[in-house]
Amino acid sequence: MIELIAAPSSLGLRPDAPGIEPGAWRAPGALLSAGLAARLNAVGVTELEHPRYEFEMQPATRIRNGLSIREYSLTLGDAVGMALNARRFPVVVGGDCSVLLGCLVGARRGGLCGLVHVDGHCDFFHPANYDTSSRLGSVAGMDLALATGRGELLLTHWPHVGKPLVADDDVVQLGDRETETSAMDGSWGTVLDTPIRQLTVRQILGLGVEEVAGRVAGRVAARGLGRVWLHVDLDVLDQDVMPAVDSPGSPGLDFPSLAELIAALVAATPVIGVNVTIYDPDRDPVGRYATQIVDCLVAGLGAAPQQGVRR
Amino acid sequence: MRTLLAAQPTPTYAAEIEQFGRLVGLWKIRITQYSPDGSAPRHADGDWEFGYALEGRAVIDVWRVPSRAALAGAPRAAGQECGLCVRIWDPRLQLWRFTFHGTAHGDQVQMLARQIADEMVMERAEDGRLIRWIFADISKGSFSWRSETSCDGGRTWRLDQQVHATREVPKAKRA
Repeated sequence: MIELIAAPSSLGLRPDAPGIEPGAWRAPGALLSAGLAARLNAVGVTELEHPRYEFEMQPATRIRNGLSIREYSLTLGDAVGMALNARRFPVVVGGDCSVLLGCLVGARRGGLCGLVHVDGHCDFFHPANYDTSSRLGSVAGMDLALATGRGELLLTHWPHVGKPLVADDDVVQLGDRETETSAMDGSWGTVLDTPIRQLTVRQILGLGVEEVAGRVAGRVAARGLGRVWLHVDLDVLDQDVMPAVDSPGSPGLDFPSLAELIAALVAATPVIGVNVTIYDPDRDPVGRYATQIVDCLVAGLGAAPQQGVRR
Repeated sequence: MRTLLAAQPTPTYAAEIEQFGRLVGLWKIRITQYSPDGSAPRHADGDWEFGYALEGRAVIDVWRVPSRAALAGAPRAAGQECGLCVRIWDPRLQLWRFTFHGTAHGDQVQMLARQIADEMVMERAEDGRLIRWIFADISKGSFSWRSETSCDGGRTWRLDQQVHATREVPKAKRA
């Protein structure tokens, strides 16, 4: 049984322009309006509040909206934890990638949990690989680093869990497109120096979805993981089919391939919940992509309700 | 200002308040200051008093170097520190919010704190650095405190300052 949790937050993104909050927070509303809850046969919809976006630096942190993200993560963690306790399969609709932290906070209340991080970027900025004095950090580019315990105490130490939310060895990153490009300056690449397993988007396109899901399942089994959280950033889609995201790029998956990948991962690994992030309705003024996203999620998560029994 | 201080932690967050509340009382302190250039450390003595405040929702302290006793009745010089720290448990963040106000040099510091194992770890990020103030080895009669800086995102830490504190026993109790 799917529980839909709307997390309308743009806290983890930098402003598009001075004084302008990024539009990713509008995604849950747009996808619900496009029929997502009904199409997924969701048994419940929990709509969290839209948190206040602050343009000024918050005290004691070099992370944009850092204090607000901690508070929001704890609130989202409560919602995810309650859904799991009710033996439901939470589908968290962001918002930007910072919602991953709250999802893992909630998931970890039930014990250890692996992470499959499907994202066009590895989101691995942390204070050891960029100059934190040069700019405020944006959690949407740091979520995997923070989830694995890299960065400020504010967003790496959590009640009932401590640090990290997920161990490096229990993470598989799928879809990064920066690692193999000349634009790579070494900072994002530190993920290569960690035990985090990674298949780039080019590797996924070369191997095919079934093979990728099989390799992920093998890693999950080797680690003895009985529970896995699935993070899906829609920027893993090619910008030709999905430009309405914060950082579009190519190459990438198409909608059918992403649906197939989600379905294969849900079938092959003990996925307990999923979050979907970064669709920005402000970049989609005629609402062209909301229906395609809904179709993709329905195709990908069609088997999830029967599997949502692990807490 | 009797309304500032409190006799006990608020029952609403008693367990959390006691993370710092166990420091309530007056302590003699020995401070060791290390130099980044490796030159000989400098030492100073002072006193440090902690108390509950704001109806038991906060733990405050006054840091004085040199100690009041060492001044022997003389007024404190302008450059001698007498600073105030305020720690408030924030249930929404599940963290402590901390501020320090120094009167000697106009210092103002904001940090966030959390208990990690048996240590109280306070942290702030600024100018490309992570700075931590850590209370450790806390017992009824003593504790240690240290200030550390990391310029590489927490991979390595440089020790800047250490404090060893011993509890002052009130004269009535000594007898």
